[in-house]
Amino acid sequence: MATKPKSGTRYDPNADGRLQEEFVEKWRDNAYGCFSSGHKFCREVCPVMQVTHNENHSPTAFHANIVAMEQGQVSVEDVADDYVHCTQCGACELRCPNTLFTGDFYRHRTETVKVVRAMRALMIDTGLDRQNWQVWNRLTDELKNEPVLGVGNGQPNGQEHVRDWADGLNIPVGGETIMFVDCEAAFYRTSIPRATAQILQKAGVPFGLMQEQWCCGGPAAEMGYVEQSRAFAEHNVADWRAVGANRIIAIEPHDYIHFTEDYPAYFGESFDFEVIQILELVAELIRDGRLKLEKPIDRVVTYHDPCRLNKRKGIYEAPREILRAIPGLTFKDIDHVTQWSYCSGGGGGLPIEKPEITAEISRRRVDLAAELEVDTLVSGCVWSERPLAAAGSEAGIEVLDIIELVADSAGIEVGERKGP
Amino acid sequence: MTDDTYKQGTYRPSEQEPPKPKPIADGVVSRFEHVLEVDPTLMRRFEQQYQPVWETKRIVDSRWEHLRWMHDHFADEVLVAGEESETGAE
Amino acid sequence: MVTALEDSVVEELGATLEEDGAVLTNVTSRAMRARVPAPFPVHRWFEYMPQVVVLPRTAEQVSEIVKFANQHGIPVVPRAGGTGLADGAVPLRGGIMVDIKRMDEIKEIDLVNRTVTVGPGINMLKLNEQLRKHGVMYPDDPASYPCSLVGGRIGTGGWSLLGARYGHTRDLVVSMQVVLPTGEIVEIGDGGGRKLRKSSTGLNLKQLFTGHQGTLGITTEATLELVPRAECEFAAFFAFDDYMKAHLTTGTLARSGLATLAGVVLFDERKLAYLRRDDEAYIPQPDWVVSAVAATLYGTRAEVEPASKRVMELGRSAGGKYVGDEISWGDWASRHDRYATPLHGRLPSGEVVPMCWHCEDAALSYSELPKVREEWHAIVQRYIDEYGIFDDWGMFAYTNSAYKPWGDYLVEIDVGIWEEKLNDETWAGWVNLKREIAEVSLRHGGSITACHGATRVGDAELVPTEMGSAWEVVKRVKRALDPNNVMNPGKQMLDEAYVSSDGDGSG
Repeated sequence: MATKPKSGTRYDPNADGRLQEEFVEKWRDNAYGCFSSGHKFCREVCPVMQVTHNENHSPTAFHANIVAMEQGQVSVEDVADDYVHCTQCGACELRCPNTLFTGDFYRHRTETVKVVRAMRALMIDTGLDRQNWQVWNRLTDELKNEPVLGVGNGQPNGQEHVRDWADGLNIPVGGETIMFVDCEAAFYRTSIPRATAQILQKAGVPFGLMQEQWCCGGPAAEMGYVEQSRAFAEHNVADWRAVGANRIIAIEPHDYIHFTEDYPAYFGESFDFEVIQILELVAELIRDGRLKLEKPIDRVVTYHDPCRLNKRKGIYEAPREILRAIPGLTFKDIDHVTQWSYCSGGGGGLPIEKPEITAEISRRRVDLAAELEVDTLVSGCVWSERPLAAAGSEAGIEVLDIIELVADSAGIEVGERKGP
Repeated sequence: MTDDTYKQGTYRPSEQEPPKPKPIADGVVSRFEHVLEVDPTLMRRFEQQYQPVWETKRIVDSRWEHLRWMHDHFADEVLVAGEESETGAE
Repeated sequence: MVTALEDSVVEELGATLEEDGAVLTNVTSRAMRARVPAPFPVHRWFEYMPQVVVLPRTAEQVSEIVKFANQHGIPVVPRAGGTGLADGAVPLRGGIMVDIKRMDEIKEIDLVNRTVTVGPGINMLKLNEQLRKHGVMYPDDPASYPCSLVGGRIGTGGWSLLGARYGHTRDLVVSMQVVLPTGEIVEIGDGGGRKLRKSSTGLNLKQLFTGHQGTLGITTEATLELVPRAECEFAAFFAFDDYMKAHLTTGTLARSGLATLAGVVLFDERKLAYLRRDDEAYIPQPDWVVSAVAATLYGTRAEVEPASKRVMELGRSAGGKYVGDEISWGDWASRHDRYATPLHGRLPSGEVVPMCWHCEDAALSYSELPKVREEWHAIVQRYIDEYGIFDDWGMFAYTNSAYKPWGDYLVEIDVGIWEEKLNDETWAGWVNLKREIAEVSLRHGGSITACHGATRVGDAELVPTEMGSAWEVVKRVKRALDPNNVMNPGKQMLDEAYVSSDGDGSG
């Protein structure tokens, strides 16, 4: 039997098709759970399908391919490019009646995100890496952070610069509660961690930072680099233990997903950290009067439900509660169920391999906001804000993070930098 | 949101293990109030997944939200008879 | 395995479409478009692939492709959502699959003359999300409402859960643009301009081009009715200790004369038993509940509110018991989502296995419903006993005629098939089961299919029988419009149109 190669090396084990067989065996029930229906409730809510209209990119196809593989009619090489076309937003697997109507009854739901990740991992294990993803994850491995600023030209990447955003804020290292800052916030949209940190300080919530803040490992997992993801997770958990942390504040939805789904899967019962999603905490602070929002913000806004909060986690009320608490704001809402079919296109590695699709998804999202005649699109996810802001600048709509608005209304001078 | 406002933004590993099932009807059990499940012994040929508590709550909440949405999609107002069940099952 | 077409053919298609990725020849692109949700011979999947897939954006492109197909004698198979429940979009002879999903624009909304003009690739739910701000909707509401596309609805001659109130697809399409099997682009309506509803000029072709299952052309644009958004919706479910009382009540409600009645649904005993497996509304019902009836109303509050009182009276008039507000509310809103879940499937042992959902969709008169139910269940049971991979999911009967709830019924028996166990033997068993059920419908003066289409083996063979004396006319029309038999060939026994009268098989 062929041994599993290290991620990223070129290797072709399919002389005996063993890895593909194992994959099919593992995901067979998922495949038939979808294939036996094939009713495609997923298609219209899928942001990629809305752009490409190519059934190859449908969650139905992602599952049907596995049945075709079992029959020996299709190989991983035939399908590899199709599985790039996914932001892992979770719309399909939530909307699928197998989840929505009977997923709790049978304790068996549609798991498209897992299927896509597993196929991407199989692609890597069979030497079919996507080039840009391979480079991205190699750089992440070298820097210990994602190369969100690019490399070269003296960009401030890596551990020496991972806490630069906190300059002047006097945040201690360590403690029971750690604020985890993802790469896009730490290096690119530094106004977000600065705003968050100062909000927590103002509300009297004690917290610290990690000794060595590595990437959460989530993007690696999404792109199929499972071993790298796990290695980063092990580092981070060791760091948390080393500083006596038992509570992690995740300021970014991708991290919240990763810490509450992937980390428990990696570590089982030994993963005993409480994980808090920042918006639920901030809503509580406002509700309890610990954070006062007194400065009126004169904007007409609509809210973009981040996929990884709304669809993947069912977190949609807290951000709305926050927005309604900001004085002076005119908030034109689109309900969170309608937003099951909305996305920025920023997740799942899509912008790295298919930036034109991400751009189109964001353009459509901004168009939907423009129909409401707002001046601002507010999001709760930093990864969404880069493509949304690019589309927003074309449409004359500013894209802000909800935390930035909260800090502003709380009278905090963030000392910000939004992008390079 | 459902009445049971489970805090999806606060994850505690110790709270995620589903409670033990209680039998309700032929082939049906229950672990949470108002949430029914298949008798796990019927899922031998098609295995169940590990579904932490937050996941079950998310699905149930999403279903109610979807139903509300579907009513609202088709009409501005939904009327019901305003009467109790005569079968005693509600 | 169906092989791809020659390079020269692919090149010419590419030149017509002028867009990267609009002509797909790789195995996955073709395999993923071989089936629709109806039960499928999975063990022979690769015999049903198209030879090439094209993703056009304009009627002109579709026209060029079809003309090209005629020149070269290549079959054409139109595919909209791929969500049909017969096999309209399943290629039987390879060919060029014309996948119209990219033709999904809203082209015009006319609030004065109450029409919306769209490409065939738009989904009704998504369309209505856009129409909402104008206070109107396109009320074509099948179980596939969140997934099916306007072009497929026209191709299949779809049925709507709100049909008694608003009509079905054929009543809601005002006119359409069609690419004929010979490639001409024509405007088909009732008569007159695109937005005219009723005319007696010339020959009325609109119904001919609705429900043809892709055998008479490809819809490339449609002008649709806009109705005022309903102020009010009402639903009530009633439980019965006896099917015949439920049947009686169904007729009473259907004949009520209430103008806002959108539909009446009758659930039989096997359906209640099936719902008790995994439906939280029915699991807690007492044992005496063996049958149910649902009725729904849509309209202004001024009409719906008083009508709802009448519905409550009539629903109880033969001993029906109201199941309560929460279930009536929840079950009606679930109407799109409860059907197709594979884990409804149970082996005779009671174990859960994923099964594919077959939905029979006969059209039958009210008087025939009780007897057909007995005959159908007996047939399905025989096949369950023999093959062990089928399952009886019970029956629904729905008011079928547009605007006339007192008319006929869409009668559905839902059969689960454990697809992964299909082989030639069990597939043949399934086809026989299918045919026996369809034959019952014909014996009771009904139709094999109210709305899905009779494009499947097990159904299709009976089309000439059902058509009866009209079959000759049907064949003449097919042959006249599609002289080379390129448009979805092999469907509905229409190949017979090309057999000469002395049976030499020419054409």
